[in-house]
Amino acid sequence: MDFLDILREKAFLGREFLTWLWFKCDQADGRIEMPGNRVYEVFFLDRMTLDMSDVDTPQTVTLKGGHSELREGLAALKEGKKIEEARISVRAGDNEFTMVLKGTWFSLGAFRTPPILPAAEADPEEGMEATFLEKIALIEEGVEIVDRLFEFFLSVRLSDEWDARELPAMRRWIASGLE
Amino acid sequence: MGFTARSVSMMRYRIKGQIEGAFWDAVDEGMRKGAFRSLEGSGELIGMGWASIDDFADTEFRGSSYVRGNYIGMALRIDTVRVPARVLEMTLRQEGKKLMEETGRRRLSNAQRRELKERIVETLKKQVLPSIQVFEVIWDTAQAVVYFASLSVKARERMEDHFKKSFGLPLIPLIPYLRAEELVAGSLRVELLEKLKPSSFIP
Repeated sequence: MDFLDILREKAFLGREFLTWLWFKCDQADGRIEMPGNRVYEVFFLDRMTLDMSDVDTPQTVTLKGGHSELREGLAALKEGKKIEEARISVRAGDNEFTMVLKGTWFSLGAFRTPPILPAAEADPEEGMEATFLEKIALIEEGVEIVDRLFEFFLSVRLSDEWDARELPAMRRWIASGLE
Repeated sequence: MGFTARSVSMMRYRIKGQIEGAFWDAVDEGMRKGAFRSLEGSGELIGMGWASIDDFADTEFRGSSYVRGNYIGMALRIDTVRVPARVLEMTLRQEGKKLMEETGRRRLSNAQRRELKERIVETLKKQVLPSIQVFEVIWDTAQAVVYFASLSVKARERMEDHFKKSFGLPLIPLIPYLRAEELVAGSLRVELLEKLKPSSFIP
């Protein structure tokens, strides 16, 4: 399969990841227990777009607002839509990152790291390089958290656990949201 | 909007293949080969290429200024000039009229019209201020990853193309499936991933 074929046919993987991530956050109040006894804090913030990828005329729903507005997303999930993008915040240690994570391209919109204090270097060029290195280290830390979450998702998605436990649990969660 | 801004939108790429021979020499050669330069031609694009990530007017990279630790930081600078359509139309009409009066003809041939338009576009282009776009790129040489600070499809395509022309290395967007392939590589789950079909979340 060439790249465009993969992009089209496997777009569901990124969307299922985002949808699963929302499920995990909602179930655990944002504290996701990762393999290896680490805890990541993940929150879905004020924006979410859901889409149906397998239909000829794509149907997109964008939700903005607080917790109750986002829960309308469950109605979209019930129709078979999946999350295409969502603004989330993630934290693994001291640092919190927010971004609009996109399911099809795995691109990161409006990615924000904790602020960097201006470097105290005497030489302005050295100062710029220090700032650059600090910033890229933060960016990579944030991207790494997303990678680990995706890896966790894959370990479940590619196991027997998916059909046996996880998928039924997600369906119950989606059904329950409409009461 | 660059990487040191408060908020940045970015694409992540995997670099395929390897540089032959001495790595940093090849990088230097690629930077110079792909450095910003003016372009001739009738299109909107009048200049493109790598520039310093700190100063888009610096396209010389003295002292390999693009190297920062294991990272390479540069910007792709794209200069375009757009002649407003109505100005072109108006000038074309005026000049066409003049040409017909001079030659005593009542209409211009297609060839004449075409040649006139090309001439006018060239003249008008010189009168229009260019639009300068700057897109930042960070190359993590330790991880063979490139981050690109824009989600614009056109900018991405230009950058992917220019990177390949400069360094001979294709960039592959790290979409979820391809990232998953990397994460499960060498394990029994490779086959499961290949065969994976969408699940239905409908209760």
